[in-house]
Amino acid sequence: MFYFFEKNDYICVPILLNLFILYAFKTSNTIKKEFSYLDFIQRHASIGIWEFDTQTLSLEWSSETKKIHEVPLDYEPSVESGILFYKSGYSRDTITQLFNDCLEKHEEFDEELQIVTATGKEKWIRAIGTPVLENNVCVKVQGLFQDIDKKTKNSITLAQKETQLRKSFENALVGMAILDLDGSWIHVNKSLCRILGYSKEELKSLTFLDITHPEDVEVGKDALKDMVHGNIDSYEAEKRYLSKEGDVIWAKLSSSIIKDDNGNPLHFVAQIHDLSDIKRSNKKVIQLLETTENQNKRLLNFAHIVSHNLRSHYSNLGMLLDLFRMDIPDATNNEIFPLVEEAVRQLGETVVNLNEVAAINIERNLKVEPINLLEKYNSVSGSISALVLESKTKICVDIDKDLYVKGIPAYLDSIILNFLTNAIKYKKADESAKIELKTQVKDDFIILAIKDYGLGIDLKKHGNKLFGMYKTFHNHKDSRGLGLFITKNQVEALGGKIEVESKVNEGTTFYIHLMKDEKN
Amino acid sequence: MKKIDVACIIDDDPIFIFGAKRMMELANFCHSFMVFNNGQEAINNLKPIMLTGEKIPEVILLDINMPIMDGWQFLDEFIQIESHKEVTIYIVSSSIDPADLQRAKKYESISNYVVKPITAETLKNILQEVVTA
Repeated sequence: MFYFFEKNDYICVPILLNLFILYAFKTSNTIKKEFSYLDFIQRHASIGIWEFDTQTLSLEWSSETKKIHEVPLDYEPSVESGILFYKSGYSRDTITQLFNDCLEKHEEFDEELQIVTATGKEKWIRAIGTPVLENNVCVKVQGLFQDIDKKTKNSITLAQKETQLRKSFENALVGMAILDLDGSWIHVNKSLCRILGYSKEELKSLTFLDITHPEDVEVGKDALKDMVHGNIDSYEAEKRYLSKEGDVIWAKLSSSIIKDDNGNPLHFVAQIHDLSDIKRSNKKVIQLLETTENQNKRLLNFAHIVSHNLRSHYSNLGMLLDLFRMDIPDATNNEIFPLVEEAVRQLGETVVNLNEVAAINIERNLKVEPINLLEKYNSVSGSISALVLESKTKICVDIDKDLYVKGIPAYLDSIILNFLTNAIKYKKADESAKIELKTQVKDDFIILAIKDYGLGIDLKKHGNKLFGMYKTFHNHKDSRGLGLFITKNQVEALGGKIEVESKVNEGTTFYIHLMKDEKN
Repeated sequence: MKKIDVACIIDDDPIFIFGAKRMMELANFCHSFMVFNNGQEAINNLKPIMLTGEKIPEVILLDINMPIMDGWQFLDEFIQIESHKEVTIYIVSSSIDPADLQRAKKYESISNYVVKPITAETLKNILQEVVTA
């Protein structure tokens, strides 16, 4: 594999002289006697030297070369063993080729390759070789051997980091740019192009000011100066840009300055976060809020109309009927008059109910207080004890005595009362009502389950309008259809909700979710 | 039972005025009426009477919602008159708004809040209160 030239006795004097001077410092008449100065250089630069004699075929390494190979100082290398230190594959093939070319074609070499040291470490090294010629015959190859592992690894890591940065810059979802101090673009990423609607080339022909909304040109101008003068390192601002199409783009700009080692400003790094969507949805939210407020105002007006105007007409009717009965009693003694009276009475009731509903919906600053659920139930059921007794209703109560809900006493009265009376009202015709009350704590809520074994409701048919105003599902004489509607409104005003399970002829269970009080 | 001499109705609703007057007659409530259609009219007419002290109404049935000057504004002016305590004032309104009830409680000079429709029974109670006071 190696080609060695025949030994040639003729030595060119000037070349020899040169070599002598050169090697007096470098290798001194071979490597064994290194000058201490040379030794110093070798150690600190991690540079070793080597020499191959083509006549004796001997290879000599300086102590630094040995150190780099991690072999003992008495190690005696040969060309073959030297080559074998190179990492198999690319490094070993390359050095073999280079060494042969040096001997044969008298070519110098200088290459960065990998070796595997005696202790098995992989290392990047720089191998330099130069042929020493006598009469155009290569008599020696001399060279340097440098440990560049750290430097190479650093630069590889650096290259990787650079790639990482470049990729995150390029593919960031936020618009990014590097700008010259005069505001012209050095680099822009895809997102910025997308936000502004320009291609990279188009953008680079413009400056930062060109895409800034005319009214926002002054925004951040002082901050930019402060950054250049080193007063601040970065700043943020909300400002508008103009897209290629001329659309206004609201964006949040975050800008920072990059400086050289001496602290002189080099360029700006800008991040531009498109806020258009946020602004748009914000606008929508504000519009919705306005609509809601208007509707609330209208509801308030509605409540006012109900409680004043409708009621005053009703009360006049009631008063006139009263007068009629007192003034012309004979004229009331017929079938029609009592019906008119009943119609007016019902009108009055409807007005009161409507008022109640409106009042719940417009009530503000509801003052909730801790209410003991069992105590509340007891007081409500006490108020209808006559009805319970008369209807022979059986009620099973399993409410934990220590449960407190957040509520308004009047609302809770109405809620419990409504479910109890409903359960009694809608019992099966041939048996008395049976009601079960149970509680369950779930997260921030106390769920009061009220189960009856009554008629039940066809939820498939009526489910979606169960809690609607004036919906009744049974031909019961007292059905007003307002109870559940009011109850639902009251429960929701207290931050809760109502769920229902029901089967026709098996009964209904209402789950009333009420907010748990901290007192629990 | 003793009758009230002069009763005053301040209301903008002609049907109510008609009904209330008729009801008062039937209940034998008073000898004569004064009727004003809003607060301003009432103040304009009551003020001179109150000052001279002649024919002061013993009781006023006051509506809240009226044009020009409503019941509250009337009250605010009326209680400025020195002799106003000689008059018993009832709010008679169709409003069942709790806010109105609360507001009525703030006036010392208001005896009670009557929700319309007014009945013979209510009038009897008022009569009782006024003549025994």
